[in-house]
Amino acid sequence: MNVLIIEDERALAQELEIFLTNYNYICDVCFNGTSASEKIAVNLYDFILIDLGLPDYDGLDLLREAKKVDSEAACIILTARAEINDRIKGLDLGADDYLPKPFSLLELQSRMQAIIRRKFGVKNNTIELGDFLIDLTNRTISHSNSVVNTITKKEFDLIAYLILHKNRTLTRMQLSEHIWGSVVNNDYDSNYIDAHIKNIRKKLNAFGSPDWLETVRGLGYKIKINA
Amino acid sequence: MRLRTKLTLFNAISKLVIVVLFVLLVPVLIKNISSNYVDSKLIKQKNKLLQIVKSHGIETYIENGEPYGSYLPLKEEFISLDEVDPNYFLDTIKLGKRLFSEGDTLEYRILSHTFKVKNKNYLLEIGKSVDTLDETSIPLQNIAFQVLLGMILLTILADQFYSNYVLKPLRLIIKTKLVGQKFPNFNAYKKVRTTTTDFEYLDISIHKMVETIADKFQKEREFISNASHELMTPISILQSKIENMFEEEDISDDLKVRLIEMQKILNRLKSITKTLLLISQIENEQFLKEDKVPVTELLQDVYDEISIRLQDKNISYSIDIPENWNMVNINKFLLFNLFFNLINNAIKYNNEGGYIQITGTAGHNNFIISIADNGIGIDAEAIPFIFNRFKKFRQSLQQDSFGLGLPIVKSIATFHDIDIEVISDKGAGSTFKLIFPTTLIVAN
Repeated sequence: MNVLIIEDERALAQELEIFLTNYNYICDVCFNGTSASEKIAVNLYDFILIDLGLPDYDGLDLLREAKKVDSEAACIILTARAEINDRIKGLDLGADDYLPKPFSLLELQSRMQAIIRRKFGVKNNTIELGDFLIDLTNRTISHSNSVVNTITKKEFDLIAYLILHKNRTLTRMQLSEHIWGSVVNNDYDSNYIDAHIKNIRKKLNAFGSPDWLETVRGLGYKIKINA
Repeated sequence: MRLRTKLTLFNAISKLVIVVLFVLLVPVLIKNISSNYVDSKLIKQKNKLLQIVKSHGIETYIENGEPYGSYLPLKEEFISLDEVDPNYFLDTIKLGKRLFSEGDTLEYRILSHTFKVKNKNYLLEIGKSVDTLDETSIPLQNIAFQVLLGMILLTILADQFYSNYVLKPLRLIIKTKLVGQKFPNFNAYKKVRTTTTDFEYLDISIHKMVETIADKFQKEREFISNASHELMTPISILQSKIENMFEEEDISDDLKVRLIEMQKILNRLKSITKTLLLISQIENEQFLKEDKVPVTELLQDVYDEISIRLQDKNISYSIDIPENWNMVNINKFLLFNLFFNLINNAIKYNNEGGYIQITGTAGHNNFIISIADNGIGIDAEAIPFIFNRFKKFRQSLQQDSFGLGLPIVKSIATFHDIDIEVISDKGAGSTFKLIFPTTLIVAN
């Protein structure tokens, strides 16, 4: 997958590139709107990440150009402005998603995955974990033909996020940012993730051992999937 | 008391005092005037008599040394002329009593004058009754009192009208510039029409003050908004760097733990910045109020987010709100955050195994949703300050928070015209009452 990163903050652009390269994306980086505009006209991209606050260009104009040249490219708007109007305008102009800064790189990856699933119409997105079958499309967990129906929405979100970033330790912070990201919260403690994981284990244990859900001592949690 | 009433009252009282004083003085004045008048009349009569004596001789009145005396049938006036001792001298006008042959004693204003004719000394006395003077003074007093009272009433009415007219701009200034101004959202300046320069000055001064305040407010908001926006990018860079470093294969777990510590601190910075930004966005009215949602549904959403915290502390939770209550003209995202923060606080400042009760009651012309807990409560003297930013009163608690939860609640409530009442007993729990106007909740 080809990604064009348009971000005038070089340090951030660099981190985005490192991260996405790790996830096997092929990255092009632009630090200003003019060069981005040239790149959009010449190359074909699967993803274009646009920072709205460029010094020489209105990010929304760039979005318009990108959609004109290649309507297949998925555009994700990154912005520090977080103005509601920008958001509406961006989505109206055909942006596929919108991530306000500061965002977690994992969150970006999960949004990109969601777009891929949507674009390619992935119907059967089922993952086998031990004796459990996890259906990410229909959001169900089953164990030898019986459905685990006690799992709540939040708990499933946690499992799905860990599966998306499989074999990777996710910190409590990263997990709580994912499931409570929309709440403007007075406190920043992420201890409730432990309670959630405890519940998940208890519920799954009624069917079989969820040993694939690992606690990484002092760091966080991960789901191991042997590819 | 209103200025207009005060002015009218003062005018009325001062006039009344003057009139009463005047009326009390009337008898004295009248006496004075009439005695002057009587005196001049007496002098005229004396001169006329002397004239007659001069031209016709004293014999006209006195023959053979007989004294002359004459009075009107009712004795209001009398004249007497008599020879007296040559060395006797008199020329006065004064009050005096005279005895008549019938036995009456009457009081007169008497002119006494001695003059010499042919080496003989004569005393002339002309008297006028005083009773007639007193009689005129009482009705005069009455009339004066009535006329003046009438005049006072008229002037009071006129004063009332005039002060009403002249103070109208002041009333307008108070009504449009001071009362009903919602701080800090001031209405546009509209000049109050007046010909009184003082009011003009007042109007302009108030306007200038309001402008200054609004300007400072705007600047503060802009500053907070800009500062939080500007902070987002560096925070974003740091977060990405930490996340990427965390992924490096060749770093030890010990280093990873320290990276997590960094992430925690960064998260704190992020939460504060995001919260400040949210507050400034609310204060700049950058949110629409067009959502409609059943109260119970919104509270269910909050419950879904927060249930893990309730479980963690084993807190019982009950909602008693009519199913048919719908919130209208609100911003769902903001109302969600309002309830989330209040309920989250109720959990945070609660004891293990406590309870939280959410109840809805329909008032006269409002709807009240109260969130009550039996947690640690708030000190009575702290209650007025709990909505201030960065104030933390319940620090004894080992909780991570930075004192922006209730300021968010306050901003959201103010933005929606929701009133908040806080009742709390230290050690017994707190109740936050949200008072919704009927424009925000409909029961159907």
